[in-house]
Amino acid sequence: MTATVPARTPERTSESPVPPRRRDRRPAWVRALDSTTAYQLLGFALFAVAWQLYGTYWGGLLVPTFTETVLAVGDLVVDPEFWSAFAVSNQALVLGFLAAVVLGVPLGLLLGRFPVAERLSNVYLNILLVTPMAAIIPLLVMSVGFGLASRVILVTIFAIVMVVVNVRSGVRQVDPALLQMARSFGASERQTWMRVLIPGALPSIMTGIRLGLGRAVTGMVIVELLMVSVALGGLILNYRSRFDGAHLYATIVLILIEALVLIGAARWLESRLAPWAVNQRKNG
Amino acid sequence: MSAALAPSPSLRTRVERLSGAQASALSLAIGAVLWEIVGRVAQVPFFPPLSEVLVRLGDMVVTGQIVGNLAESLGNLVIGFGVSLTIGLVLGTAMGRYRRVNAMFGIYVYALLTAPSLVFAPIFFSILGSGRGSIVGVVVMYSTFIMIITTASAVENVSPGLVEMGRSYGAGEWRLLTRVILPAAAPSIFTGIRLGVGRAVTGMINGEMFIAVVGLGRIVTQAGKRFDGAGVLAILLVIIVVAVAAVALTQLVDRRITSWVPQTSKDAA
Amino acid sequence: MIEIRGLSKAYRGQDGSQVQALADVDLTVRDNEFLTVLGPSGCGKTTMLKMIAGLIPWDEGSIAIDGVEVDGPGPERAMVFQNFALLPWATVLDNVAFGLEMRGVGKAERHERARELVTTVGLAGFETKRPGELSGGMQQRVGLARALAVQPKVLLMDEPFGAVDEQTRRLLQEELLAIWEHNRVTVVFITHSMEEAVLLGDRVVLMSARPGQISEIVDVPLERPRSSDVGGLERSSEYSEITAHLWERLREMHAEHGRVGGIAS
Ligand SMILES: Nc1ncnc2c1ncn2[C@@H]1O[C@H](COP(=O)(O)OP(=O)(O)OP(=O)(O)O)[C@@H](O)[C@H]1O
Ligand SMILES: [Mg+2]
Repeated sequence: MTATVPARTPERTSESPVPPRRRDRRPAWVRALDSTTAYQLLGFALFAVAWQLYGTYWGGLLVPTFTETVLAVGDLVVDPEFWSAFAVSNQALVLGFLAAVVLGVPLGLLLGRFPVAERLSNVYLNILLVTPMAAIIPLLVMSVGFGLASRVILVTIFAIVMVVVNVRSGVRQVDPALLQMARSFGASERQTWMRVLIPGALPSIMTGIRLGLGRAVTGMVIVELLMVSVALGGLILNYRSRFDGAHLYATIVLILIEALVLIGAARWLESRLAPWAVNQRKNG
Repeated sequence: MSAALAPSPSLRTRVERLSGAQASALSLAIGAVLWEIVGRVAQVPFFPPLSEVLVRLGDMVVTGQIVGNLAESLGNLVIGFGVSLTIGLVLGTAMGRYRRVNAMFGIYVYALLTAPSLVFAPIFFSILGSGRGSIVGVVVMYSTFIMIITTASAVENVSPGLVEMGRSYGAGEWRLLTRVILPAAAPSIFTGIRLGVGRAVTGMINGEMFIAVVGLGRIVTQAGKRFDGAGVLAILLVIIVVAVAAVALTQLVDRRITSWVPQTSKDAA
Repeated sequence: MIEIRGLSKAYRGQDGSQVQALADVDLTVRDNEFLTVLGPSGCGKTTMLKMIAGLIPWDEGSIAIDGVEVDGPGPERAMVFQNFALLPWATVLDNVAFGLEMRGVGKAERHERARELVTTVGLAGFETKRPGELSGGMQQRVGLARALAVQPKVLLMDEPFGAVDEQTRRLLQEELLAIWEHNRVTVVFITHSMEEAVLLGDRVVLMSARPGQISEIVDVPLERPRSSDVGGLERSSEYSEITAHLWERLREMHAEHGRVGGIAS
């Protein structure tokens, strides 16, 4: 069983060239002005100008101008009070998100593998997906108070649904032919999990984790704003009662930036950890 | 391995053979029974048994608390969602059709889609004060961006062949949009609308909880402050019904409107 | 030797209706024989093969391999799947080594064996590629190498070349012949193509549908090795006679069943 057969040059691996584009004959500066980046900048500039004008002429007590907000962001970035609030908020985020992953991934795997559990849990997951979860905050406060525990629990509840739903569908989407193949080679249940189910579901697991992180950030913000909190939410309320619009807005801007950075990082990680999923999609 | 079926189908196969609706009914029934038992055994104020919650719900309906606030909430929802839908369809279509519009708004819309929407509540509060306007604003922030993005990608992905066909028959831009592109994109657009409705309901409740002047969001917060666990859960049940019903309603409208869209353009969309 | 006796199988549909996939099938596959199975779509070819593989249960009858009743998958059998069933996240080498890994063969050893087989099927140099980077024909070479790697006594192939283009299919047929002629194992090979059935098989089993039954077994007296001169073989009168005969029979089946079933190509 050695190479009696001449090794062949393999067939083509992939083609599909980029479709030919009409050549752009306009001068370089026109092209630069007509580029995506230029329009993005234009969009941002228009937004900033509109905000500036609104803040200046119609703003009232609580609405700062764009420049005031930018300056306040600069303030906050070097303000230890902001960073300690930030740390407290993020404590709930980190703990809650980790709990959601640690509990949600195995739960999703089990629900995906066992049809009975899957069918019975379906209606609840669908309800959880559309129900505004914030409405359970009063119950949380009643049961565990205003402390870290209830903030963590809320973040977990927010994130775990996304994790479970995606992991579950990932397991269910593993090609049944692969499972049969594994069985035909005598794979044990454990080997099937390790070699087929988990790697097969990994892209969806990563998607679930990324979406779960997004929801966790949402959960954190909601906790801060709807539960009287000591951290960033407390800061916001504080600025509001002092009619310090600039710092109020700056806090919101920084929360937004954090959310976008975290979600961007999760997306990057996802593409790093499951690269074959990209290939698979490409090849249909 | 060989031979004979089991004498009677096992519990497992029986559950697997249930239709989707039957399975849902079964698991809701199991859930209800568990809730009742756990509630009775646990005896804690924040998790009363189902029966107690239903009695409380009955009370609240009779005293008019639910109906009035439900109407307020639905008002917020309808106005907010209407605004979102308009923005979503107009901006989404423009972004899907024109590269420059897409370049100008694309990344911002994406950023706002992934951002936690409630963060804008204090901003609306600062601009519009504590009234219905702010709640509507939150609803809009929750539901607009997903509709913009799905509409844009639906419009962008309409089969170029279809558009060329429209052109070849001399259709101008407006006719092309209303007669060819939007109908062809409708099925995908509705996917976004359905997601938008779900988010709008969430925005409504969260907005009402933050700007606690009207609606279900306000009374759920108040019930919590009174340590009225049964009340909170009763309102939560109403909220769930509203959310599920809103999504179901969208699906109904979807089926009505896109039923006549030919299968081929559904594929293209 | 594979002995199939009185094998029957009915599938139950969701709505409670029954499809008799196989009815009372008797078949003996000789040792080191290349048996091809031909029949209209839906006649139960896949069903039978998966039963031999021990992947699905049956209602009545028995399957024995060298006198041992089939009861689940076993190490003496290996399957090549129609749609390749490769792990998209694993490299070519790890895919080929999969069966060995399931048997607990250590990493160094299984990689060495896998490497040999990768060369055998003409994929040397592609060890670290993933299936997504390979063409269909290359993917099925991986599937074949994976099956060969566990050194099975019985090779079960379900339309292995059904999902590749005509030219690649010819190449793969020649290669499979060359490999098999060098290392004879028992092969049960399912196909839709009369030409393929005749070209590869020692015997062709012709099945008919509804219910799935064996309607005829045709000997293929073409001499071996065949891999060296496939073209000449195809011009021989024996080859034409057998394919003509098979086509005649398949056409009769179609006439009987009207629009039901039908030969896909
Ligand atoms: N899992 C299943 N559930 C219900 N019916 C099935 C199932 N698998 C196969 N069948 C039915 O059993 C019959 C035989 O199927 P089988 O796949 O064995 O045919 P085949 O000869 O391999 O067909 P093809 O040539 O198209 O691959 C068909 O009528 C098919 O519809
Ligand atoms: Mg088949």
